[in-house]
Amino acid sequence: MAFEPGDSLASALYREGVRTFSRSLKYHRRRGLYCGTGDCPNCLMTVDGLPAVHACTTPCRDGMRVERRGGWPNAERDLLHATDSLHRLMPVGFYYKTFIKPGFAWPVAERVIRRVTGLGSLPATTAAERAIVRHEHVDTLVIGAGIAGLEAARKAAAGTGSVLVCDEGRVGRGVAPGPFLDRLRELESGVRAFEAVMVLEAFTALGVYEGLHVPLAGDGELVHVHPSQVIVATGATEAHGVFPGNDLPGVMLGRAAAALAGAHGVRPGRRAVVVVRTEEGLQHLRTLRGAGVEIVAVAAPAALVDRLPDIGAGEVVVDGEVHEARGGRSLRSVVLRRDGRAKRFDCDLLVLSLGLSPRDGLARMALPGEAVTVVGDAAALPEPGICGHGGTVCLCEDVSMHDLSQAWDEGFRNAEILKRYTTTTMGPCQGAMCGRALSCFVASRMGDAAEVAPQNAEVRAPRTTARPPARAVTLETLAAGVHEIVDKRTSLHELHVDAGARLDRSGGWLRPFTYGDWREEYRAVRERVSLMDVGTLGKFTLAGAGVNELVDRVFPCRTDDLAPGRTRYVLSLDEAGYVMDDGLLARVGEREWYLTSTSGGAGRTDARLRHFIDRLGLDAHVLDRTAQWGAINVAGPYARDLLDRLTDDPIDAEALPYPGFADVAVAGVACRAIRSGFVGELAFELHHPRSGGPELWRALAETGREWDLCPHGLDALELLRLEKGHIYLGQDTMPDDTPAKLGMAWAVDTSKPWFVGKLALERMAALPLARRHVGLGIEGGPSETAELRGEPLMVAGDIVGRITSAERSATLGRAIGLGWIRSSGDGFPDRLMTGSGAIATVVPTPFYDPEGGRTRG
Amino acid sequence: MHVPCGRCGPRPFTEFAFGGEWREIDAPDAESDFARVYLPENPEGPQRERWFHAMGCRTWTTVTRDTRTNEIG
Repeated sequence: MAFEPGDSLASALYREGVRTFSRSLKYHRRRGLYCGTGDCPNCLMTVDGLPAVHACTTPCRDGMRVERRGGWPNAERDLLHATDSLHRLMPVGFYYKTFIKPGFAWPVAERVIRRVTGLGSLPATTAAERAIVRHEHVDTLVIGAGIAGLEAARKAAAGTGSVLVCDEGRVGRGVAPGPFLDRLRELESGVRAFEAVMVLEAFTALGVYEGLHVPLAGDGELVHVHPSQVIVATGATEAHGVFPGNDLPGVMLGRAAAALAGAHGVRPGRRAVVVVRTEEGLQHLRTLRGAGVEIVAVAAPAALVDRLPDIGAGEVVVDGEVHEARGGRSLRSVVLRRDGRAKRFDCDLLVLSLGLSPRDGLARMALPGEAVTVVGDAAALPEPGICGHGGTVCLCEDVSMHDLSQAWDEGFRNAEILKRYTTTTMGPCQGAMCGRALSCFVASRMGDAAEVAPQNAEVRAPRTTARPPARAVTLETLAAGVHEIVDKRTSLHELHVDAGARLDRSGGWLRPFTYGDWREEYRAVRERVSLMDVGTLGKFTLAGAGVNELVDRVFPCRTDDLAPGRTRYVLSLDEAGYVMDDGLLARVGEREWYLTSTSGGAGRTDARLRHFIDRLGLDAHVLDRTAQWGAINVAGPYARDLLDRLTDDPIDAEALPYPGFADVAVAGVACRAIRSGFVGELAFELHHPRSGGPELWRALAETGREWDLCPHGLDALELLRLEKGHIYLGQDTMPDDTPAKLGMAWAVDTSKPWFVGKLALERMAALPLARRHVGLGIEGGPSETAELRGEPLMVAGDIVGRITSAERSATLGRAIGLGWIRSSGDGFPDRLMTGSGAIATVVPTPFYDPEGGRTRG
Repeated sequence: MHVPCGRCGPRPFTEFAFGGEWREIDAPDAESDFARVYLPENPEGPQRERWFHAMGCRTWTTVTRDTRTNEIG
């Protein structure tokens, strides 16, 4: 299709003779160019695969691929138009009332309805590039770069503050040459001359959020503006006229007709009836005359009649009203009425300049008291347009005056519920056309039924709530800046990759699950020696004059009896007495401690410690070393032999007892070696500066070949820790687990005068224990016992618990698990049936090495 | 909305984690401790509350915010 420079998609199509721009949503009625300002839904098309693009505000480009929406097989020949004659069978609420029963019919009906309605299909492909996001902090944001917006921007910029001006189009585009455009250009260059002014063209304001915060959607970019004040200068659209036949192609608002005739040099019709109620309408009339449109009739109020331009042989109907528009494929005639007398005029164009309908959606989103001002036409008093006896109120959703009346009669007697029931104002135009028509309708009916709310003026002329987004926006733009999952990596990441490890996410980190054969890794720990990267643990140094009080208060166990060089397993309780994390507390010196937390709980631990330092007014400091330090667990019966080869420092049971730690140099790397018991073998966690990690790992792996060392991942750890009965917080626990429920009352010293959660534990201690965690020996059932995890535990067919971890242990020669069970009136059951028919028996933990001799080494 | 961080001054609230309504750190007995933990005031109006500058200096701040207007006094 050919087009001329400056053409919009709509003007180029119009020049080619296209009059049906789309088909309506429900009844598939032909819809022509209507508002010409990007406000109404009529010219929405699919452009280059992107649905819901306004043809009237989109400039033509070479090679654009444009599809009209609605209609089958296409918008021009639409067999579904038959639905229009069936509209008595598809009244308002049709969707809610039909297809309810039988249930199976709905999915089928839904598929058909989706096909025949809607605004086009979403592109099946994903965007080539992610939209980017940026933030702008300015003193003043001006939305709209028309005369009023640019004037406001110039005034704001003349002060000292920074100003951002945005417009969904480009300054002056689509404005016909003339004094108006000259004024715009002059203002524009004046505004751009200021250094503190930024002008963003083709950026659409989506909403005004509290704060203030205004997101602007541009091409492949989302700009979050954080202004001190907002000036809404979004102008106004011309008011919508509602009368029978008002949606026929050929009926259009003054600006659409003037843009075609003036800016694009396309004659919008041959014979026109024009309704003029505004100054602006007089100008449109002159423009139409200039383009050679024959004016058949003009309806104008008496006050304007004297100033009408020469309209040739056309008839002037003083104070005339549009009664009806008639036609088939497009407009054929218009009936004007005055004093109860009607007259028909044959024409192919009806131009409406009925008054202003402010684009005040953004302004209405602001909370009361926020620094949002409205200037220019956006602040104009709205004109009701025409609120006639019939016709289409909502162009987007195909809601007629008849539909509103029917809904009213069904009892939906309030603007908000009328909106929801009929979907008026809920389409792409977001009430730009129909909002005032709806409010006008409700006001007139309220007048009929004055008893509803006779005293309340606001209720009598109600506007429905304005909500973001004010304009259509792509999901791609909304997704701009959404945080992608960034996996943290330890300093040993590359070594794991080189070793062919299967890495996956765990607690925000990318961690090795296995290096190939997890059973072999397991055997290396139990029988020889192994390494594990545990650099993901939360690691903190705590110090300061008041640090001893801090640790004593935030942990439920005794801490004052811990000597330097010794460690203790600690639970972290919240103020409700529930276990939120666990870790190891090491006393470094008289007033210095070292704390580890779970990998996923590091951030919470840090925030929690700082909270209590602040609230308790303690002179204590937290140094988060999680990212600074790595850690390698050297575990297995030969762990000490391995370390002996790489250190000159003493690491025997006397120098480094369990549970304790010592600062030693291993392979030249300064390490804090912590005796750990998680896997149930002789084990040393080497906490080291991150930079020394790879060197340390390589040295350990190299020297460990003598014992056939093989590193282990999370898969092997699952069984290793399970055999010791050690819980995984989150996997084995629930958010309301107390130490008592976990069988860990030994980790709480109730004789301490105060610790976080103490009173809550005291209160709950008086209640019967409703649930507890237990070790399970499992027999029978499916051979792959990993499937047992998550299975219910039952007694006599009643579910009383659940398995939270389960594995088959080759070492023990049976399947073991952890789980929780509920108390039945007379205590806890000790023999349960699992969901798959296995028998689970409550047994004491640890399952493996219950005396702990292997851990103590 | 800007939260006045004790160390960094007013910063956008998106840098903070909300720490809930301010409450006493302790209670005289277990029963009033229950009310302290589970029965917040939840006022419509000025509320003392805790904010943690999680994406900043990681300090806690106590502010009074009007829950109707988000104004921080």
